[in-house]
Amino acid sequence: MTLQHYLVISAILFTLGIFAVLTRRNAISILMGIELILNSCNLNFAAFSRFMTPPEDISGQVIAIFGIVLAAAEAAVFLAIILAIYREFGSIRPNEVDTLKG
Amino acid sequence: MVIPLISLILLCPLAAFAIFGLLGLAKRSFPRQDYLSTAAMLIALGCSLLLLQEVVPDPEPHTLKWLSLGSVTFSMGFYLDSVTAIMLIVVTLVSSLVHIFSMGYMHGDPRYPRFFAFLSLFSFSMLFLVVSDNLLGIYIGWELVGLCSYLLIGFWFEKDSAANACKKAFLTTRVGDVGMFIGMMMLFTKFDTLSLYGEGGIFAQAASQLNTGDMVWLSVAGVLIFCGAVGKSAQVPLHTWLPDAMEGPTPVSALIHAATMVAAGVYLTARMFPILTETSSLVIAYVGGITAIVAATIAIVRFDIKRVLAYSTVSQLGYMMLGIGAGSYVAGLFHLTTHAFFKALLFLGSGSVIHAFHAMHAHAHDDEHGHGDDDAHAHEHDGNHASEHVIGSEIPPDQDMRNMGGLRHKMPITFLTMLIATLSISGVPFIFSGFWSKDAILGGVLGRAMEWNSVHHYLLFGIALFAAGITAFYMFRLIFMTFFGEPRNQEMHDMAHESPKTMTVPLIVLAVLSFPVVNTLWFNADYVTPPEQAHLHAPEHAYVSPDSKVGEAGLPFSLFGISEAVAAEEAGHDTHGAHADDAHHGHHGPAHTIAMVLSIIVAGLGILLSWLFYHKRSLSAASVATTFRPIYNVLWHKYYFDEFYDGVLVALTVWKSRLFAQFDGTIVDGIVNGVGKVTRDFLAVFVGVFDNRIVDGLVNQVAQVTWSIGGRVRRIQTGAIQTYLFVVLAGIVLLILIFRAL
Amino acid sequence: MEITLTNLIFYGFALLTVASALVVVTVRNIVHAAFSLMVTLFGVAGLYVFLQADFLAATQVIVYVGGILVLILFGVMMTSGRLEMRIHIERGQLLLGGVITLALLMLLLTVIANTPIWKNLTDDGTALPPTTERIGELILNGPFLLPFEVVSVLLLVALIGAALISRKEVRD
Repeated sequence: MTLQHYLVISAILFTLGIFAVLTRRNAISILMGIELILNSCNLNFAAFSRFMTPPEDISGQVIAIFGIVLAAAEAAVFLAIILAIYREFGSIRPNEVDTLKG
Repeated sequence: MVIPLISLILLCPLAAFAIFGLLGLAKRSFPRQDYLSTAAMLIALGCSLLLLQEVVPDPEPHTLKWLSLGSVTFSMGFYLDSVTAIMLIVVTLVSSLVHIFSMGYMHGDPRYPRFFAFLSLFSFSMLFLVVSDNLLGIYIGWELVGLCSYLLIGFWFEKDSAANACKKAFLTTRVGDVGMFIGMMMLFTKFDTLSLYGEGGIFAQAASQLNTGDMVWLSVAGVLIFCGAVGKSAQVPLHTWLPDAMEGPTPVSALIHAATMVAAGVYLTARMFPILTETSSLVIAYVGGITAIVAATIAIVRFDIKRVLAYSTVSQLGYMMLGIGAGSYVAGLFHLTTHAFFKALLFLGSGSVIHAFHAMHAHAHDDEHGHGDDDAHAHEHDGNHASEHVIGSEIPPDQDMRNMGGLRHKMPITFLTMLIATLSISGVPFIFSGFWSKDAILGGVLGRAMEWNSVHHYLLFGIALFAAGITAFYMFRLIFMTFFGEPRNQEMHDMAHESPKTMTVPLIVLAVLSFPVVNTLWFNADYVTPPEQAHLHAPEHAYVSPDSKVGEAGLPFSLFGISEAVAAEEAGHDTHGAHADDAHHGHHGPAHTIAMVLSIIVAGLGILLSWLFYHKRSLSAASVATTFRPIYNVLWHKYYFDEFYDGVLVALTVWKSRLFAQFDGTIVDGIVNGVGKVTRDFLAVFVGVFDNRIVDGLVNQVAQVTWSIGGRVRRIQTGAIQTYLFVVLAGIVLLILIFRAL
Repeated sequence: MEITLTNLIFYGFALLTVASALVVVTVRNIVHAAFSLMVTLFGVAGLYVFLQADFLAATQVIVYVGGILVLILFGVMMTSGRLEMRIHIERGQLLLGGVITLALLMLLLTVIANTPIWKNLTDDGTALPPTTERIGELILNGPFLLPFEVVSVLLLVALIGAALISRKEVRD
């Protein structure tokens, strides 16, 4: 198992997350895509921490933990916003929430 | 002292007018404008008298640079010589008396204050003209005088006749003014200045340029400037306005005829004396002579008391012009002075008579037109009313001499003073000033004739003599018709009364002045010396000079002194000849003797005839009129001058106007419309198309492009967050690819 | 690379993670997607274990699977009726998204493949001591104290903010 293995997995997760954000027509699905992206990032942190630094240094893992915390906070706020949008528009399809359309 | 005094003389009447004008702006009026104006005039009179002492023989003008235009500088200034000083006294004196007289005459007029304000302005204008040392100043005063006469003649502008008369006066004098202006411009182009006196003045330059080149242009310029005087001083053929000017209040007539308006013309001609050539002098003399005889003959048949006086004025002005034209500079001005006093007296006297009738005028007016008027009219005149459409032909009953008669008992003061004036104007010998001044002119003309052996001047002398006789005749006709005989209109006669003191006092003062009092200044050869005439190089030819010792002896107006002077003249005594050329002085004595004798004879004849016709009634005016019907008609129609102007000049003007109107309507308008049509139909269409297609097209196209781009670009802003993200990612990918490639 | 049990398990986890993630982004039913996401998160946790990040793996399971995923499921329940369970996908959008995503993936893989220093870093399989104690040291008594406190405040803010946003508006 080399660093490249992890990086490739991380890259795939990342692009899948992007794909979800781009194509899904449901805010919750987009949130899931974002979670995938965040996971890929955390995985990268952990992998780089494992391979690029001395074994004693685990700062990367701490950063990853922060990332998880951020993800949790983000998910909470995201869902609150989704609820608010749902109340306002009666839908959580992002293409229907287009008040800013030019 | 000269400058302050002259300034005071000018400023007083101007201030009186200015106060009226400025208060008028505030819709107020000074409570006693009459006192104000009169006081201003009296101050000016006092200053004028003081100025007499300031006169020096060969004065320098007091000038001030006024404005510079390029290399030309116009100056304003005063010039005070003996003539100026005497004119100042005449103007201020007559004006003062007219002011005082007006207080009585104009009493109760709704525009009473305005009248006095105008009188003040009138006096100011004339005084300004008199003291100016340059043609520009004279011209300014000249036009101001014209304006004031317009305002005052038309003072009762509610009357159509007055409104027409003031317009006529203004326009007629304007005809002459154009000539004057052209003359001024000729002098200006030649001499580069309008100043008359001093180093670079016109006279000095003219004297130095005398013998070089021909003097035709100078003659022309002189005659043109004289045109102005013809207008202002009512010489033939521009005299028609003056009789019509009688529509103004009588004090105004007095002022116009005596001191201001008409005197300006004579004064100007006298001022121009040094540059008058032989030709222009002759023109002036002829115009003056013709005016004298024409106006005098017209006066014979008038019935309106003021018109008789008006024609008399015209005639006397002709005398003055004749005098100046014949080289009798001093005599002309002398007659101007004496005439100012006795003519003012006559007018104020007639004003007094009219005023006497005026009080009842209001209710007498209606029936007057009914009977009294026509009876008198018919037998002398065959009821020839139809053609009487010319301005002012309708005689107001209170001015019609046929309504008067026997007034000498009712109005003794008026009668006596007017009689004195009449004796003076008629040339009754020795004790009246008019005799001396008229004789001076006659003698001067005859002297010139004998000296030059000139047919022209003999002819002119004859004319002047004849006119003198006629003058005596019609003046006594006026006196007889007005004051003697039985009252012709009992009702009006009963109402008549002597005028109040404000009116009679000026009459008395003027009556005193009709004796040679102030006028004696002219008798003094040392006081007034005529300027040399440029073309003659010799002192004046025809200067009447009763012994200069008369003035020096302090007995200026004694009968004795004058007789002595005459005696001296008869003896051929050369009284002033220090600088004179002896060759012609031999004529003076005989000329004056002959002239004097002849003038006494014709005056006597005139008075005698008048007495026979109008007092004794042994001769019938009506029968004479019938016998010489054609002549009478010509005279009655004033030589058809007005008819001529009406029928020819006015008609010509109207015809010309029609022609021009037609020209305007067809050709000018045609061109304008054509241009308009071309512009509209071709140019405008082209420009319109250009505008619509190209300019508007460009603008619209720009807008269209912007619109469509905006419409397309707008779609980018989908509002869909995923699209944005997609673009962002695509951008990132592209950027990375680009920088990787690099 | 010989085929060992460790390797097999690793590939198994890797495959599990990628496959389940693929399911997350492609499946039409949102509830299925959520559960598939749970599998992905477990897979990632397994990968953490392979990286000898035991505390991180535990946190991943507890926080993600136990917290966030439940939160997501709650969201699904509250916003979608039965009909809304199916995720609507547009064909054009899918195509464009696929293209850009593939481009991105190719890019990343190229970078990964062409970065020399990353190539020969292999896991020699030596066991490392547990990380929990050291992480505790780092967070509570080390250089990460301040970030830790800041993140704590952030969480608090997010909590209050979320509550404020999602509550029903009181019109007064």
